[in-house]
Parts: sequence; structure tokens; C-alpha cells
Amino acid sequence: MPPAPRPLLAGLLAGVLLLPTFRPASVSAQVSTPAAPRTIAIDERLAAAAGLAVGDTVRLAATAGSPGDLVRIAAITRRGADPSEVARNEFKVRLHLDHLQSLTGSGDRVGRFAVRSRGAPSGDAAAPDRVAAAINQSAFGFRAYPASAVAVETSSTFRVVNRFHRAIGVITIVASAIFLLCITLLKVDERRRDVGALRLIGCARATVLRAIVLEATLVALIGSILGAALGWAASAIVNWYYQGVYQTPLRFTLVTPGIVGFAVALSLVLGVVSGILAGRRLVRTAPLELVGR
Amino acid sequence: MIARLAIAALTRRRARTALTVAGVAVAAAMLLDMVMLGSGMRESFRGFIDQQGFQLRLTPRGTMPFDSEATVGGATALVATLRADPDIVRVGPVLGGKHFVAVDTGVVAGFLLGIDPAAQGDYRLEAGHDLAAADEIVVSTAWLAATGRALGDTVRVAGGYDPQLRRATGERTLRIVGQGRFQMLAASDRAAAVPLATAQAMGGADRADRVSVLLVETRGAADAEAVAARIEASEARLTALSTEAALKFVDERLGYFRQLAFILASVSLAVGFLLVTTLVTVSVNERIGEIAVMRAIGVARARIVSQIVLEGVALSLAGATLGLGLGLVTARWLNGILATFPGLPAAFDFFRFEPGAAFRALGLLVCCGIAAGVWPAWRAATLPIATTLREEAVA
Amino acid sequence: MTVTPVLSAQSIRRAYPLAGRSVEAVRGLSLDVMAGEWVAVVGPSGCGKSTLLNLLGAIDRPTAGRIVIAGRDVSALGDAEATRFRLTGVGFVFQRFYLMPTLTAAENVELPMAEARMPRAARSARARELLAYVGLDGRAEHRPFQLSGGEQQRVAIARALANRPALLLADEPTGELDARTGAEMIALLDRLNHDGTTIVTVTHDEELAQAARRVVHMRDGVIVDDVVRRPLEATA
Repeated sequence: MPPAPRPLLAGLLAGVLLLPTFRPASVSAQVSTPAAPRTIAIDERLAAAAGLAVGDTVRLAATAGSPGDLVRIAAITRRGADPSEVARNEFKVRLHLDHLQSLTGSGDRVGRFAVRSRGAPSGDAAAPDRVAAAINQSAFGFRAYPASAVAVETSSTFRVVNRFHRAIGVITIVASAIFLLCITLLKVDERRRDVGALRLIGCARATVLRAIVLEATLVALIGSILGAALGWAASAIVNWYYQGVYQTPLRFTLVTPGIVGFAVALSLVLGVVSGILAGRRLVRTAPLELVGR
Repeated sequence: MIARLAIAALTRRRARTALTVAGVAVAAAMLLDMVMLGSGMRESFRGFIDQQGFQLRLTPRGTMPFDSEATVGGATALVATLRADPDIVRVGPVLGGKHFVAVDTGVVAGFLLGIDPAAQGDYRLEAGHDLAAADEIVVSTAWLAATGRALGDTVRVAGGYDPQLRRATGERTLRIVGQGRFQMLAASDRAAAVPLATAQAMGGADRADRVSVLLVETRGAADAEAVAARIEASEARLTALSTEAALKFVDERLGYFRQLAFILASVSLAVGFLLVTTLVTVSVNERIGEIAVMRAIGVARARIVSQIVLEGVALSLAGATLGLGLGLVTARWLNGILATFPGLPAAFDFFRFEPGAAFRALGLLVCCGIAAGVWPAWRAATLPIATTLREEAVA
Repeated sequence: MTVTPVLSAQSIRRAYPLAGRSVEAVRGLSLDVMAGEWVAVVGPSGCGKSTLLNLLGAIDRPTAGRIVIAGRDVSALGDAEATRFRLTGVGFVFQRFYLMPTLTAAENVELPMAEARMPRAARSARARELLAYVGLDGRAEHRPFQLSGGEQQRVAIARALANRPALLLADEPTGELDARTGAEMIALLDRLNHDGTTIVTVTHDEELAQAARRVVHMRDGVIVDDVVRRPLEATA
């Protein structure tokens, strides 16, 4: 069976990390003393919002106003580091399958099966595809998707966000490059008189240029190391903030060695290039003009 | 003369001025983009909602429109009750569901809306005519492409599909009378609309006299929030969502982008400020002797300050002007990237140019430019003339 | 007949803090300059000549004493009034010319007039007139770097005269010039004085001092000698 069309609003909001999931039954928190209640697990956000704890008994109903069942909270679960869970405000309640079926009147129906193929654990990457194809060939009423295909489908949102972040990164790099060039130019220009004096006392152009480039490189190196430290601190703050906002262990930003290496390398290249550009301009100017005569 | 001196100071070292303006332009572009991003999604969504012309959406209690498959029963009576409310002008019942069309290569599945043609805001007709009879259907362009059908064709459409028996259920023969743009769906979505009664009948007993959403247009003078509260109080099965509440919901879910926009906008402002401060400070340091001479020959402090501040303003203004163009171009680029979000309505903009907000943001950047020039300007204007002249002479 | 001096400095002192103590560059100096006089202040380096000129030009303020120029006590002026006084009350010529490098010769001369809110046409005409007076009528549109040292100093003199000051103060006006150009500068100052401009110059240049009507010798912040070489005519 083809996948269900995306619901209207959820489709729109899928842009913000949302994918349609099963909406849980509503919960009314009325503690009482049941005879033999079934057990459920609730997520920690619901526990915090409704003031529930393990061992409490609550009434669980599929629709507002219906009597529902008395159930006991057996566990409190924490959200996984799943990007698709981020920004979902719904509370999650986990029930035993037969309990949910009876509560919602679904009979002996399920939404999906998860199947583990034999080849997968031994590293046979093609095994899930083969199993899915076999099921699709032979079984009535099912459509099997390998986990990789589901991952591609559910991660499409994040691929877009990634591309967006990369684009912002490109703009930031352009801005940083201009900033660094500008600062180097200013710093070198500030040294006009010193450079003029050095040239007047007989220092070769190449020596002066080397000194300028070395200075620009050192500034870029120190700046990029400080920048990496600042980036790391900013990343920690961002993670701390968003993990709090969305109540998820998901890490929103990562400062990897690769990223630090890229940033330092880029700064160094920009520092050297801007040092050469600014220095060449200066050493080509007549020394007397540089000292203001 | 002061303006002449300010311009001369900026053109004296062209390369660095050009670089600073370029830097400010990039910062301004980023700032503009982030302002557009911050308000764009919200305004775009508001546009969609306003376009529909309904102030309230009534959904099964605790759900958002079409966020689940939940429906409300007794729709006919509910609509009649609502229509009797003196504060309500129009009620548009909508039933959402799936539909299936057999084609040569298999089955095409799509989203089906059962609507009241006299009170709907889900699609805009682009060709043909609107629904007038029970056996008519309006479809999206993507639907026509997927099924290979054309306006005027007759088509067998099923309301369900029994996977065990591999058989369609609730089948109807419908005539394609219109081609519409379904505003809340992506351009690639295969969407179709039929009269509400037809959709209910195609859904079988489960869907008889049920609706997913009721769109409500309130009377001009009536307070939509008050009507919403009244409906919720009298009808326990319903959640009444006003436009503002829907926007608030969207705001909550789109919080990440707004916060990202705010952070990047702040960084852009800081970068612009730093660039202008650096350039103006260095420029003032270089001209400290000239400034001392101007003070010595009787040029007032205020003039010196205004000349230097003017330099900052000129840099920021030039940068902001360039940044406006650059920002619009990059916004298109970034919007193009975000437009590829799965399931996003085609006309939805993440970046929306709101002249008021854009010019306020660029104005803020220029204010930063002014602020950036103030300190070096004040330092220059208050320097001790005699000492500075002596130091300059020694230098 | 009682002649009121254009400049009257009474017991002026100027002390600077240096390495934790106070050093006096000018120590209780008094000096009167009559209208039409040309006074050359001479003395060894560090004797306080430039400090005296800065005090007379309201660039600096005395720590004690009183300076009256054209009937105005400039030693007690606030910053805004002192600035206004420098704009219209005195003209200053510096050793190193200090022209605005981005402005043309005419614009440099116009600068004080623009600051004094003189209408554009009037200041433009006066700038041309002054440049012609100092012998630079063909160089009005040149920028400082296109002019020789002597020409730059002439522009500086024209600028100093722009707002018709009561007093022209010149700090080593020939200090940066070669002998021939220096002689031309002295001739120009002489002509200015002859045409009625009151001048006070600080100089090491013996020829310049010789050209002045009166020579004041300074040492360690005080006047040690005051010689009138060419008295003013009775009409002064």
C-alpha cells in the first residue's frame, strides 16, 4: 500500500523537524486504588507537567469524556536523541499493544511491524533490502521498507536544515574573510611610518614583507585559536539552552576537530593572503612617502 | 566643508574603505535575511490563514487541524447550531482523508478533502469550474500529472483500500470539473476535493456525518477569541483555534528559526559595529595631527565629532544600501534551499520582505554605525591640542 | 595719547606635571604687544617660547596670570569660547604648515571661514584674494602634496588671515624652509606687518628675528631682554 499522504498542517510543520506520529490517548490524572491495573510508561515531560511518579494510578482514555481504564505508571521514559522528536510538544504514553488495541477499539490491528533480518547483524548490508523485496513479493496487504529507506525519508527534513546551515556558513565565511582582510589592511597601514623607517635604514623589501606576513599570520593564528575556544563555548551554551528548551539529550551543535582545523586553516590562508596583499602595497610605496615627507 | 572632509577621509584609503563597506554590506545582508526569516514564516502562515477568510478552526478536542485522523460526529447538527449563532457568518465543514485512483501502473494515492463549495478556503480554482454536483471533483496539478487525466475526464476514485483483499472501497465515478491550487499543501501533493457528502459516503460507515475541521468566519465586529471560548464552553468535543492561537502554535514550533535569526542578526550587528569602529578609530588615529590643527585654528568640537560620526554613518549607509540588494539575493537563495522541505506549501516563504521591518533593521545598523563613530570622535575632539601637535611634530 | 595694547600678558605661568612633580615652562612672564607691532620671541630650545605662543593663541591655558587680546581675557575662556576665539581672534601659523592634505589650497584657506559660517561665495572670493596676496593665485586648486614647502607655508598664512584676526601668531614659520624660501617668507611677513597685521613669531631664525620690529629674548620661562629695533610710527 502506498504511504499515506502527509497531513495538511503536519506537512507544513515537517519543515521544523516534525513528522506525523501517533497521537496518544488523553490522560486524566486522578489517583485512585485499582484492583489490578495495567501498567504504562510515560515520558518525563508528562510526569513533570502532571506531577506524576512511578506507582501512581491514573485514568487513561482514548477520547475525551470516555471512561477509559485505570492504569499504573510503571516507568518514566526519557526522550532519545532523535532529531525527529525535537520540537514535538505532545506527551508520550507507552502501553502494551493489546491494551492500546482494546482502549482504542482497534481490534487486532497494528500500525506497523518492525522486522529484524538475519543477515543484518552479521554485516550483510544488502540483507534488509532482500527481505523487504521478498515480503513485498509474497505478502498481501503489506509494504515493507528497509530501515535505510525510512531513514532517508525521515531525514529529508534534516538534510534541508543542513543545507541551510551550510549556506549560512558560506555567508559567514565571506563576512569573516572580508573582516580579516580589512583588519590586516588596517593593521599594516598603521605601520606605515615604521615600515618607511625600516626601508630608509636599508631593510630590503622582502625582509619587510616577510615581517608583515609573519605578523598577519600570527594574528590570524591567535585569533583563530581564540575563535575556536569561543566557538566551543558558544556551542556548549547553544546545546545547554536547546536541550533545556526541547528537553532532549540531542546535541544541536558540534565543534569537531575537523571544523576547528578548517577554521584555523581558513584563517591562516586569509591571514597570509591579506598580509601579502597589504604588505606588497606598502613596500612598493616610496619610503619617504611612508614617513610623511 | 565637514562633509567634504569626511568624504575625503574615506576616499583617502580606498581599499580599506571598500573592504569595510563590503564587510558592512555582508553584515547588513545577513541582518536583513535574518529579519526576513524571523518574520517571514509567521507572516507567510498568517497570509495563508487570512486568505482562507476564516477566523476560527474547530477541531476534535485536543488536536490541531489535520494533525491526526480524528473526526467529530454529528456534523450536520453541529453546523446547523453554529450557523444559528448570530456572531458567525459562515461555517465551512471539511473532512480530510485518503483517496485512491487506479492507473495503468498501479494505484495513485492522494489527499481527499470533503468540502462545502460555498464555504471553503482550502483551494483556489485555477481552471475549470467549482464543485456543483455530488459526482464532481476538483484536483491539483500534481494529481493530474500522476493520474494522466485531464479536465472533463471521468474517473473512478476510491475512498479506501482494503490491503487484505487488495480491493478498493467506497468507489465513486467522478467528473474532473476543476483544477485547483491547494494552498496548505505542497505543489507535489496529489490533492482532490469533493462535496462533503460525497467524501463522507466514500469513507463508509466510519465517516458518515463526520468532519475533521469546521472553518468558521465570525461577524466583523465580533471578537473571535470570545466566540472561540463560547464554542469550547458549549461543545466539549471541540477545540476552537483562533488565527492568533494558530500563529502562536506555529511560533512555538518554528522557535528554532526565530532564535537562529535573532542570534545571527545580533552577530551581524556586532560585526558591522566592530568594522565601523575599527576603521573610524584607525582613521582618526592617523589624522590625529590634522584634527589637532583643526581644533587649533578654531574648528569647534562639535564639528570634529560630526565629521567623524559622519564617516561612520557614510560607511554604514553605503554598506546598508549594498546589503539591501545583497540581502534580497541571498534571501532568495536561502529560501530556495528551505523551500525543498518535504510537504511545504509551494507558496510558503521562509523569507518575506516586509519593508517596515527591513528598513528598521537597516536603520538599526546605521545607528550602530553612528554609535561606532561616537567614541573615536569624542576622543579626537577632546585631545589636548598643544600636546598632540608637539607629539605629531616629533613623530 | 594712550595706546591700548592688542596683546597684554600679565604674570603668566604654565606648569606641567613631569615625573611626579610640577615643571614650569613659563614663569611669571609679562608682555604687551601694540597694534601693528611685529615681535620675534627668541631663545634657546626649551626656554618656553612655543608654550608662550600656545598660551597667547588660547591653544593652552595659563596656570596663573592673565592674557588679554583685543580687549578679551582669553586666559579665562571655556573650551567653546576659546575655540571661537582661535577661529576669529588670532591666526596661527605652524612650523610644519599642517594643511589638510585632502583639501585644495583654496579649500584650506576657506576652512576657517566655513567654520565661521561665512557664505560660500564670500569665502571663496576671500580665499582667492588671500592666495593672490601671498603670491599663489595660480595654485588655488593644488593639493598640499603638489606644493613646495614655501608654497604650503604661504597657504598656511593665508588660512591664518582668513577671518581677519587681530593678531597673527607664527611658530617657527621658516623652520622647515630652505634659506631662499625662508627669505621669501620673511619678506611676506614684513609686507603683512607693513600692511597693518600685528605679528608675534617664535623663532630660532636670526634673519627672521632681525626683520622683526621688536625682539624679545626668553630664557627658562621668563623674558630676559626686550629690544625695540624699529619703533612704530606715530600713527600706530
